[in-house]
Amino acid sequence: MSESINITNIKDRIDRIEDILASVAAGDMEARIQTETEDDFSGIEAAIDLLINDLTEELRQREKVQKELESKLEKIQEQQKTILQQQEDLLELSSPVSKVWDNILILPVIGTLDSQRTQVMMENLLQKIVETGCTISILDITGVPTVDTQVANHLLKTVTAARLLGAECIISGISPAIAQTIVHLGIDLSTIRTKATLQDAMIFAMKQNKRDDEIRALKNIVIPNEHAD
Amino acid sequence: MLEFGNEIKCELLGKFIIENEYDIVTVRQTIRQFAKDAGMGIVDQTRITTAVSELFRNMYNYAGGGEVLIERGEVENHNALIVTCIDKGPGIENLELAMSDGFTSGMGMGYGLPGAKRLVDRFEILSKVNEGTSVRIMKWK
Ligand SMILES: Nc1ncnc2c1ncn2[C@@H]1O[C@H](COP(=O)(O)OP(=O)(O)OP(=O)(O)O)[C@@H](O)[C@H]1O
Ligand SMILES: [Mg+2]
Repeated sequence: MSESINITNIKDRIDRIEDILASVAAGDMEARIQTETEDDFSGIEAAIDLLINDLTEELRQREKVQKELESKLEKIQEQQKTILQQQEDLLELSSPVSKVWDNILILPVIGTLDSQRTQVMMENLLQKIVETGCTISILDITGVPTVDTQVANHLLKTVTAARLLGAECIISGISPAIAQTIVHLGIDLSTIRTKATLQDAMIFAMKQNKRDDEIRALKNIVIPNEHAD
Repeated sequence: MLEFGNEIKCELLGKFIIENEYDIVTVRQTIRQFAKDAGMGIVDQTRITTAVSELFRNMYNYAGGGEVLIERGEVENHNALIVTCIDKGPGIENLELAMSDGFTSGMGMGYGLPGAKRLVDRFEILSKVNEGTSVRIMKWK
């Protein structure tokens, strides 16, 4: 016994399905068949509408996830920018030169000494020497983790330049490990006055100060008219 | 690119690019950490860190940068930290001269390469003009 199939307007309805699917494929997620007919074919039409609904929902979800990922990426990029900025700030930390005692300047160096920073540091120190007329300066490198040939070279140059301006430069804070490493590198720092700690350097500088004072005082007694001012 | 033979069984710990002074500092710090993790004391940490600093600076100054491989491997029954620096720069014409104390083609002190060699347990260098330079160093406890 065969059942008869009841479908009206089959040609138009298939055309409509094709149109709707084409619209959906082209990105129109609002398009639906929405058949008003009730017959054996309307089930298929309704099923297609349901599929389009599911697809729309799926796409919406995906868009949401993608947007979330994008905003996360943006945030990470933003954070990375901040980190880079902070690193830059750290590198460009002004090198504070301060006059800690009569005639004594201290320059604590912290972090890595790249060429740019060393340049700034050297200029600061030399300018301060000129400004204050101090004749002893202490460069403390306790905070410098790695002294390679380039850093050593910069230190030597700074000391030489300070000397040209009439100031003795003492380097303090060379750790035992760094001292050994410098020796293995083969760099000769014997022309530089070095002290193990900042404290040692300070004591040395103050003794030096006292000696200078005594010499000055002595000069004043022996030839009191030497300084007309 | 000049490569060393891979007769040593190694475990890759990291791969980095050096193209600015920042990279020199950060990769150098990474290597210090690996040395620490390998149980090296402060003196050995400082030695290997300083040695790689020399190699990185040379790559940056003379070859415009390069690549760094950090590995761990068994060398002569030692647990060695192995750092390989590879650049595609101009290469070194006279290796013997470059390896001698005080030789610099620029404004340096000329102690980078010979100094680095003295700071580590094994030092190998390959260089070819117009091809590049590769240096491999090893340090163990
Ligand atoms: N990767 C490289 N590519 C090309 N040339 C190099 C490279 N590394 C070193 N050289 C050459 O070898 C020379 C010696 O290097 P070395 O590191 O010993 O001294 P330096 O870099 O001149 O000075 P220093 O390292 O003491 O600051 C350099 O001047 C340079 O000409
Ligand atoms: Mg060098």
